[in-house]
Amino acid sequence: MKAAFAWLRFPIFSLLAPLFGITTGFLLAWGQSPPAPSIKVVNLIPASLSGESNQDSEPFLAIQNANPQVMVASAFTPNPFSMTGNAPVYVSQDGGNSWALNAITPVQRMTCDITHAMATGENHPRGDLHAGTLACASGITLDESESNDVSLSTTMNVQSTRGNVDQPFVRALGVSSGDRIYVGVNDFNQANGHTATIDVSVDGGATYKSFPIETRKTAGQDGPSVRPAVANDGTVYAAFFGWRKFDGKTATSDVVVVRDDTAATGANPFQALKDPSDKLPGVLVSKKVSIPWSNQPALGQERIGSTLSIAVDPNHSAIVYVSWADKGSKGDIYTLHLRRSTDRGVTWSKTDLPGTTIHNATNVALAIANNGAVGFLYQQLSNGRWVTHIVQSHDGFTTAMDFVLATVPANQPVEQFLPYLGDYDYLLSVGNEFRGVFCANNTPDFANFPHGVAYQRAADFSAKTLNDGAGNQVPISIDPFYFSVPVIP
Amino acid sequence: MKILKLFVGFSFWLALCGCTNAASPQAANDQAALMKKSSIVFFGTVSQLAATSFADVPKSAQTIVVHVDTILKKPAAVSLKKGDNVTVEVKDASGFQEGTQATFFTDGWIFGSGVAVKELGHVPGLAGEPVQAGSAGAKAQGQAPEQLNDQELRDRMKASDFVVVGRVTDVRKWNVPKPKSGAPLHVTEHDPDWQEAVVEVQSVLKGGKVKGNKVVVRFPSRNDVAWVHSPKFTKNQKGIFCLNRDQTTGVPTTKTGGQQAYTCLEHGDALPLSEEARVRALLKNQ
Repeated sequence: MKAAFAWLRFPIFSLLAPLFGITTGFLLAWGQSPPAPSIKVVNLIPASLSGESNQDSEPFLAIQNANPQVMVASAFTPNPFSMTGNAPVYVSQDGGNSWALNAITPVQRMTCDITHAMATGENHPRGDLHAGTLACASGITLDESESNDVSLSTTMNVQSTRGNVDQPFVRALGVSSGDRIYVGVNDFNQANGHTATIDVSVDGGATYKSFPIETRKTAGQDGPSVRPAVANDGTVYAAFFGWRKFDGKTATSDVVVVRDDTAATGANPFQALKDPSDKLPGVLVSKKVSIPWSNQPALGQERIGSTLSIAVDPNHSAIVYVSWADKGSKGDIYTLHLRRSTDRGVTWSKTDLPGTTIHNATNVALAIANNGAVGFLYQQLSNGRWVTHIVQSHDGFTTAMDFVLATVPANQPVEQFLPYLGDYDYLLSVGNEFRGVFCANNTPDFANFPHGVAYQRAADFSAKTLNDGAGNQVPISIDPFYFSVPVIP
Repeated sequence: MKILKLFVGFSFWLALCGCTNAASPQAANDQAALMKKSSIVFFGTVSQLAATSFADVPKSAQTIVVHVDTILKKPAAVSLKKGDNVTVEVKDASGFQEGTQATFFTDGWIFGSGVAVKELGHVPGLAGEPVQAGSAGAKAQGQAPEQLNDQELRDRMKASDFVVVGRVTDVRKWNVPKPKSGAPLHVTEHDPDWQEAVVEVQSVLKGGKVKGNKVVVRFPSRNDVAWVHSPKFTKNQKGIFCLNRDQTTGVPTTKTGGQQAYTCLEHGDALPLSEEARVRALLKNQ
C-alpha cells in the first residue's frame, strides 16, 4: 500500500508535511506519544457480499461519541437476501477496519434517503443511533427512528413518521438529559412555501417538533438541502437554499443561515440571526445565486441541483463555515464555494476563502476538529475522473493541505440510477482524526487510491478485478469507502 | 441457459420431494415450502454451541456455528461456499449438539467477514439431492434478489386491485395538472416524471371486469433511486400486470373520459408472460 501525503497547495505545508512525518516517527520511536493515525481508506462491502455489483451510492456516517470505535455507515445498498426485508446499514465496531451489513432500518429493501447520528451511547454500548430515512414506494415517507444496539437484528424503533417531505439530514448532540436531535428536511406540508424545516427533538426522539426556518417569499418551496450543525455549547445553526425563482432548469436562490442559541429548546427557535437588508430571520450569506437543476446526468454521470454543507467549531461556536455549489463562472457546470463567519454568523466573508472556488465539483462536506482545523471534503470531475479531495486548514484557507483519497474513471461503471455517487457524502471529526465516507468506482487498483486502500470484499489488485470469493469475476460498480485522515496539528 | 436452470431446478425439486428425510408427502411439502421461503439453505455440521463464527455477531445461547458441507440455495451476491463456517441463530438450541448434521433453512442476518443467518427451520441430515458448491448446479441455485419468491409475489397480488394479462398499446408523457387550489407543485430529486401506458386487457386474473378492455396505467419514468425498481412500460410490451387504483399522483382519473387510472409501482408488478402459470397457481391457492 502506498502511504504518503498527496500534493500540497501551499509551500509552507510542503515543508511542514515531511516535518510532520519525521516528528511523528521521532515520537513513535521514543514511545512518548500514542501512535499517530495515518490515512486509512476502506471499502465497506464485506467479504461475505463479494458477489454484489449494486450501485451503493450516497454514503453517510455516524460515530458514537462514547466509543468512537463504533460507527454506522449507510448507502443505497439493498437488502442482500430479500425484496421485502429491511434496508441495511453498515456497522463497524473496530474503528472502521471492518464493516458488517445489518438489515435494521424501518424501510423495506432499500432507502431512498438516509442520514443518521450517534450522539451519546453511555447507556447503550452499540447504540443510540438516530436515523432519518425515506421510504419510497407508492409515496415518500419520512421515518425518524432509533436503535439502542446496532449489532442486533431488531428493527429500528420508529418514533415519528410523515409523508410529503424530502432529504432528511440528521445531527445530534448528547446531553445528560437525553439526546437532542436536529433533522433538516424540505417539508412540503409547511404553509406559504416555507419548506425549509428543522425537526427538533430534545428528548432523545420521543417527541419531535417541526420548525420552518424560512421567512421570506419563495418560489413555492426551498431547495432540497436543509443542513443543521450543532456546537457543544448548544448553539445550533442551519443552512438552506431559499429558492426565490425556479424555471425548471435553474433555481435563483439565496444561501441562508439561521441560528439558535439555546439548543432550539425555546418556543420560536432559529430567530437569532437577522439579515440587515430586511430584518428577517436568516442571514443571506450569498444572494440570488444561480443553481442549475438537473435530474439527468449533468456532471459526468451525476445529477446536480442542491449541494450544501455547514460546520460549526465544536468548541468555539462563533466560528462557522458554509459551502455550496452553484453555476459559477462561465464554462463551469457546477462550482463549489466556501465562506466563513467568525462572529456567530452575523457577517460572512464576502468572497470565497482562498483556493476554495472549486470548479466542476459536488458532494461537499465540512467538519471542524477540536483544534479548530477545518476539513473540506469534495468530489471533482477532472480530466474524465472523479477525484475525491479532503483539504484541511486552520487559518481560513490562507494555507491548506490537500489529500487526494481517490481518483477513479468517471465513465465506468455506467449508472444504474441517480444519484450516481450521491447527492451528498459526509465528514465528521473525532479526536485527532477526520473521518468520512465517499462513493467511487470500486476497481481494485492502487493507482486509484493514492494513500492506499483496504478491501474486505474479494479483490485481485494484480489483475484489477473483483470476484465473488469463489473465483467468479464480478463486474465493477459503485461502492462506499470509509476514510480516516489525521487532523493537521 | 434457461433450459439448464429449469432442468436443475426441476431435478432439485423432484429430489427434494423424494428426499430420504421426507417421511410423508406432507413433510415433503413442508420442506418445499421452507425451501421457497428461505433465502439461504445449506447442509452442514454443527461445530460449536453458544458461539459465533465472526466478531460482528452478538453471541447468545441461540447462536451456533455450523460448518458448511453443501450449499443448496443462496443469493448470488452472498459469498458462501463449502468449508465456510456460518453462524446460525436457531429457534431452539437444545435440539443441537456438536456433530449434529442438518439441513438449515434460513434467512440472512449479518454479513461481515462471514455470514450469519436466522433459522426458519431445519431437518436432520441432508434434505434432497445435494448441489455441489461451485458447480453449474450451484450457480443455478443462486437466486437473484430481484426475483420475487412465491410469498412475496402472493403478497404483491393480494395488495393489488387487479391482476391482468395485457399488451401495452401506447406510452405517453403525463403531466400532473396543477391543483385547483393554486398550490404550487413541488420539485424534488425524487420526481417521478409520470408517464401513462395504455394497456389492452386480454384477461383479468384478479379483480372485476375492466370497462372497455383498456386501462390507463401510470408509472414513473425517472431513473431516480426512489423509482429504480418500478416497472417501466414500453409499447407492445406483453405481460402480467398488478394494478392499483391511482392513489399516488393525486389525480385518480384520466384526462379524457374521466376513467379510473391505475398505477404499477412496485418491483414485480410487471411480470413476463412466462410467469402466467405461476401467477395463476398462486392466485388459486390464495
